[in-house]
Amino acid sequence: MPRDPRLTIARRELAALKSEKTIVLALLIQLFVAGFSSFLVVGLVSMYDPSSVEGGSVDVAITGEGGEDVTRALDSVDGIQPVSFADADEAESRFRDGQYDALLTVTESEDGRLRIRAAVADSGVQSTLVVVRIRDGLEALERDRRAAFDDRLEFEPITLPEESSGSPYVGFTYTVLVPLLCFLPVFISGSIAVDSISEELERGTFELLRAAPVSIVDILDGKLLAAASLAPAQVALWLGLLHVNGIPIDNVPAVLGLVAAITAAIVGLGITIALLAPDRRQAQLVYSVGVLSAFVVASRLPEHPANTVAKLSVGNPTGQTWTLLAGYLVAGALVLVVVRLLVGRLSVEHLGGDR
Amino acid sequence: MGLRKLLRIARWEVATATGTVDRRTVAVLIVALLAAGAGAPAITSGAGQLDAGLYTVAVDDDHPYHDAIEERSSLRIVGDADDADLVVTDDVVRVADTTTGDAAQTELRDAIRSFNNRHLRAEDDQAAAFPVLVDLVFVEQSGGAAVGGDGGGGDGVGGDGASDGGSGDGGGSAGTDGTAGDGSGDGTAGDGTTSDGGTGDGGTDAGTGDDGGSGGDTELPVPDIGFGGGGAQSGTPGSISAPFPFSSLLLAFVFVLPMNFVIQAYGSTIMDERRNRRGELLLVAPVTRTDVVGGKTLPYLGAITAITVGIAALIGGGPLSVLAVLPIGLLFLGLTFLGAMFARSYKELTFLTVSISVLVTTFVFVPAIFTDVTPIALISPLTLVVMDLDGGSVGLGEIAFAIGPSLLASGVLFGLGTGIYREEDMFTQLPVHRKALDALAAWIHRRRHIAVMTAVFIPFVFVLELLSVAILFALPLAVSLPAIMLLVAVIEEVAKSIHVYAAFEHDRFDRGMPIAIGLGLASGTGFFLAEKVTHAVQLVGLDQLEIAQAAFTPGTDVAPTIAIALFLAPLVLHCVTAAISAVGASRNGREYGVALAVAVLVHAAYNLGVIALAT
Repeated sequence: MPRDPRLTIARRELAALKSEKTIVLALLIQLFVAGFSSFLVVGLVSMYDPSSVEGGSVDVAITGEGGEDVTRALDSVDGIQPVSFADADEAESRFRDGQYDALLTVTESEDGRLRIRAAVADSGVQSTLVVVRIRDGLEALERDRRAAFDDRLEFEPITLPEESSGSPYVGFTYTVLVPLLCFLPVFISGSIAVDSISEELERGTFELLRAAPVSIVDILDGKLLAAASLAPAQVALWLGLLHVNGIPIDNVPAVLGLVAAITAAIVGLGITIALLAPDRRQAQLVYSVGVLSAFVVASRLPEHPANTVAKLSVGNPTGQTWTLLAGYLVAGALVLVVVRLLVGRLSVEHLGGDR
Repeated sequence: MGLRKLLRIARWEVATATGTVDRRTVAVLIVALLAAGAGAPAITSGAGQLDAGLYTVAVDDDHPYHDAIEERSSLRIVGDADDADLVVTDDVVRVADTTTGDAAQTELRDAIRSFNNRHLRAEDDQAAAFPVLVDLVFVEQSGGAAVGGDGGGGDGVGGDGASDGGSGDGGGSAGTDGTAGDGSGDGTAGDGTTSDGGTGDGGTDAGTGDDGGSGGDTELPVPDIGFGGGGAQSGTPGSISAPFPFSSLLLAFVFVLPMNFVIQAYGSTIMDERRNRRGELLLVAPVTRTDVVGGKTLPYLGAITAITVGIAALIGGGPLSVLAVLPIGLLFLGLTFLGAMFARSYKELTFLTVSISVLVTTFVFVPAIFTDVTPIALISPLTLVVMDLDGGSVGLGEIAFAIGPSLLASGVLFGLGTGIYREEDMFTQLPVHRKALDALAAWIHRRRHIAVMTAVFIPFVFVLELLSVAILFALPLAVSLPAIMLLVAVIEEVAKSIHVYAAFEHDRFDRGMPIAIGLGLASGTGFFLAEKVTHAVQLVGLDQLEIAQAAFTPGTDVAPTIAIALFLAPLVLHCVTAAISAVGASRNGREYGVALAVAVLVHAAYNLGVIALAT
């Protein structure tokens, strides 16, 4: 049974990627980027979020008029040990000796406002913890005092709802990590397509392929198929990994469909650019600038594609989300049709190598 | 090497690079950039927000929360209470039992908080609306002199900076934040300077205030980090934040971004030389390899310099910024050059360039985050840019420390690449790792070359070790210390043995046990001597950090009798472990791997032993 030449070419493309092991590198890069961005958020948040940092409570020395109020307010906050001093010099010297992590000097002005000079020991990571704890304590103080002044205010602050017990990283996961893992493979797929075409053109091997009993459209179809199948496969892998890590992704088929549609469009764009550009350097430049600007221009849409992915994967798609998804699918198919038409009209001389 | 020849090649490179760019490419690029420029405003306004309408809330129209929820772009009001993440009824907020529900609850709390603050800011009686004002200064303990952070004060002053910056409120509120803070900050500048004689500017100049605002504009949904600058800050309790130079960091990033485009073109041009034996013409010309490589690199270095100077002028960086960014550019170019010498095809080159971009970006970005926290940040030249933008003062030693390793490392990279800029390597197809071994072996002919090459690797060892310290130090010491020990051992052992393996693979030496041990000793000694040089680390006060101490100076606090023994102990260690891996390398690849693992374990055990001894 004669095999479809397009499939043969696609298989050859993938085999080339496999033999160079470059695809492994690509996966590693994506994993690294994901890990890096998670580190940025998770690592930093744990630095700045007192509850997730080990270490005992923060000792705070308080002095000055109105210091008792401050002491009382801080006492109600976990992780702070406030001690009130009547003698400012003693507090100062004890703080200098390192017995306290912070020194609050309080002055009360006539209009009832407390001015607090918070001196925090400059000790690297530890001082960030101290700052965060003090901030929490002083915010409680601010609320108390504001409530006491409510006759002087027209606006009555709304009471805050309970603090969430959940992980603070959920928003990041769905709005940055998932879109990142969806669009990075798309970009790389397009880049592979550009390279694959430029390589054939500059080596002059298109001519050889032309001698084979396949049409030029078949060849391009094969290359398109190979490059465009990579991104959805990788995204499926990432979504699976996220699922294993306890991050549920809703509407997986829709997300994959979106990725497939955008990949088709981007790979089609890449192939067109590579065929029309004079050499690889310019092709890659135009391609990367083009994709980046397309990503920026996409923010003119009612929903950025990244937002669409976030909404789908978090499980809160709107009617608009589905409309846009349908739009992407149509656009992807349209680009494919246009690219095939264009390729069919290219002259043999154009692909002949020596340009 | 002649300067005139080099310049002629550079001119030729410019001519071919610009000559082949046809008008169509330029036109397409301009259209793309214009389109991006037109779309850019939308990124910062509503439509581009990544978390727009992400969470669903069911709430009645007359509920007090309604307006606050409606103003929050990430919360979407839905009629159907069954599927909503949050259901707000009279007194209770019912949270869906999902991860999304928890995230929505955090958003709701943030939304209410900024709603309150916005309305309170409109009150006439500001003393009652914001009854507490805080001036935050950082003070060195038990040293006597107070240091109020090195400038940059006033970033993120006022309002609810900390929480807003994190969750991505609109730019409007960030603007008001800046102004709200100004008034209060002015007073503090006096306070800070008179009482402690420190340098805390407590500053409130409009420029830095704006920076804070731009930090708030970015829609990164990073929870609760805040974007306050380091040093002294003042404002309401909600606005003070742990030192984190978010806005400056973002601006510094602008320097790194264009380099990714430059290295793409640079990689292509080097790769072109290797394609269809085109480079042969230059190889037979009466010029040296250095001329060719230098001449082909110069235009791209020039492009990076021009872009850097332009950006510096645009965002207000001084000569220091330019000085700091250039080593990053050289590192980019050096890695790309090596990558282009190794790659078998354009596809492979693309992957190598992407990896290079990611790696270098990590290297410069991660440490710079800690600019205000720890001297470790200085391993990244980008830290200098952050300091420069924040208006801090930087000493000569700090500059040398920040740009030295990167400069040396890029020099080594170019050296390795130039070594294989010859016919037998340029026009053959080999897997990347074989080419890498070729590049190493090209410089090795005698035993002392092994020692020299080990010493030459020190900048890389240094950079990698400091990078791992910078990444791991946020973790608790119990986890980070063993991890650092192991990583350091791996990095050092690889640096001491990989070229020995390359030399054996290229039959530079006979494969015998005595010869292998001799090479190991040479490598170990080279490493020991070069490592002593890196003790300049302590000049910038890195030894304050326990974890850095572990990595660089195991056991400084011991009795003098043991100290001398400890001084020489590393020499013994490095020689022993290098000999172990060298013996493995003299057999074959697999045995090298095994021997390397053994050497790493010995090394790690030694490090842990020293730590145990010292404490």
